[in-house]
Amino acid sequence: MGRSVLDFLGVEIIGVMSPVSICMLLVVLLVSTLSPSASDSAAAAASATTAATLVYDESPSDPPGRRLAGALLNAAAFVALITVATTLLVVLYYYRFTGFLRNYIRFSAFFVLASMGGSILLSILRAAAFPLDAFSALVLLLNLSAVGVPAVLSPAVPVLLRQAYLVALAVIVAAWFARLPEWTTWTLLLALALYDLAAVLCPRGPLRVLVELASSRDEELPALVYESRPASASVSHAVAALGSVELQPVEPAPPNPTLSNRNVDPDRTSVEIESLEEETSPLVPNEPSSSGDARQQDITAEREREREGERNQDPSSSSSLPWPALESDAFDASRGIRLGLGDFVFYSVLVGRAAMYDLMTVYACYLAIISGLGCTLILLSICRHALPALPISITLGVGFYFLTRLLLEPFVIGASTSLVMF
Amino acid sequence: MTVAAGLGYVLISLGPALSLFVSVIAKKPFLILTLLASLLFWLISLIVLSGAWRGFLPLKSASWWPYVILIITSVGFQEATRLIFWKLYKKLEVILDAFAEEKFRSRLSWTDKMQIALAGGLGHGVAHAVFFCLSLLTPSFGPATFFVDRCSHMPFFLVSAIISLGFMIILTFSMVIAFNAYAEGSKLDQIIVPIIHILAAAMTLINLAPGGCTIGVPLLYIIGGAVLRHCWQMVWRKLTEQGNRQRNSSDIHVS
Repeated sequence: MGRSVLDFLGVEIIGVMSPVSICMLLVVLLVSTLSPSASDSAAAAASATTAATLVYDESPSDPPGRRLAGALLNAAAFVALITVATTLLVVLYYYRFTGFLRNYIRFSAFFVLASMGGSILLSILRAAAFPLDAFSALVLLLNLSAVGVPAVLSPAVPVLLRQAYLVALAVIVAAWFARLPEWTTWTLLLALALYDLAAVLCPRGPLRVLVELASSRDEELPALVYESRPASASVSHAVAALGSVELQPVEPAPPNPTLSNRNVDPDRTSVEIESLEEETSPLVPNEPSSSGDARQQDITAEREREREGERNQDPSSSSSLPWPALESDAFDASRGIRLGLGDFVFYSVLVGRAAMYDLMTVYACYLAIISGLGCTLILLSICRHALPALPISITLGVGFYFLTRLLLEPFVIGASTSLVMF
Repeated sequence: MTVAAGLGYVLISLGPALSLFVSVIAKKPFLILTLLASLLFWLISLIVLSGAWRGFLPLKSASWWPYVILIITSVGFQEATRLIFWKLYKKLEVILDAFAEEKFRSRLSWTDKMQIALAGGLGHGVAHAVFFCLSLLTPSFGPATFFVDRCSHMPFFLVSAIISLGFMIILTFSMVIAFNAYAEGSKLDQIIVPIIHILAAAMTLINLAPGGCTIGVPLLYIIGGAVLRHCWQMVWRKLTEQGNRQRNSSDIHVS
């Protein structure tokens, strides 16, 4: 049996879907292990006064009309904040404040990992009743966060480590967001989906401007972006390729000012909002910039040749002659699909919120989100320009959540508790 | 009981599916996508069904005939979705074939097609296990367990895990049989698959009688065994046919 089409088709899609799945799984585990413990309810109440609940602090005793209005106001305020922050980010990037942005993102990544991650670590330790002295916990935490700083920024770090840290950041922020009150969460998610749609697809939308700016400068997108490496190349090879790219004088180190400057509120709740601008980074097909930059093309071609050479040395794959063609016309061969970390965060927030209700809603929402992501990726291969990854998935996810909760659950529980299945 | 018990139930209902997934599906990205698509299909069919039945719930557990109607409509609808799934796959297969022809100078082999059918079936089976068993397992991770009156020999979670394992086997391999039957146009197999499904569902009706699960569950597994045997015979027949053809072609080549 030679190789068949099944081995290759969808490698890129799975390369994006699996980290998203891992992220969601971790958030669900976190939420379901941490939320039932009574000691956390106080913490949740305290943390609920974040920027996302600036306007209205939801309490379950309020009448639905008031909650709905308050939740809408919260969502509007939050989206406005994000818009301002993203615009600021675009402006800073436009005037090439990349050094500032880079240092800011370093600081923010460290801060998210150390403070928010630390508090999550603390509640995990408490929930597991694991005895760990304060000193070693502190050393552990600081070390983990310190490694995270270069990992999210500099491309010299092994790609697996980088991806792991990006997923960890997303998990932390999402676990934090999952503590928002229920109605606010739903309206917020829908509002963000709409915002994403507008910001990426409108002609003057900030994200669109950002993406176009980055591609016209032939730089990395200035944000925390998850890049799926081609799964066919071995990890070490991917790292080597990456390193070689970054050694090219063409590309300055990626500025990544994801956590844009919004130091207005000094308390730490602002950090989590800022990390949201990862949301800014939409799904980007990594095609060589159409502005006809020959150097980029050269690099790609060179890398492809290099990879081909490697493959030819590999006896098992020498038979697959048409393979490079397959890869490069379906997707750009040099890098995989890129997905903004904010998309990770909000997918996970949805699933985490669903996990507070029941496991059944979790499965339904997971399937909906993944299939939405699949649809977006298929659209991406048709459109070949940056697409918002939130709208389809979030709409499907929210829809499936309520369908499952209202329709499916009584039906399935009614049937299976009487042991009738089909 | 505890986490150990909960994990045990999960592994009973999904263990074989998990090993199938790791050994066959996970290596080929396209099969994973097929699996996900099939999961989604099954979920949508279940949601539509539950939407249709929403007005009549909860069923009075005293009488059994509403359950008969429930099962007939559900199985009928799910078989219809299987047909739709096949139609969609058929369209996709044309594209896949063209793609394979272009890139590899060969069309999809029959083992490829069978793997796709297996992934589709596994999607249905896993979805069944997930929604009928796994999503109810949350309480079993806690300190207590739960018994239903009609089946007081075993905890409810254990019974539902065992039943969903049976259904997993039946749904997975009947999809392989069905896809093969559709492809070859053999009427017998096309009819057998819905019959198997409805028989298996009818076996769970026995559970409605007090103590009925001691009879219904073994009968379900007999059906599962029959499905496995039928599927194996079919695959074996194809394997030998294929082997003969290859030997013939190589003979011709030599002479």
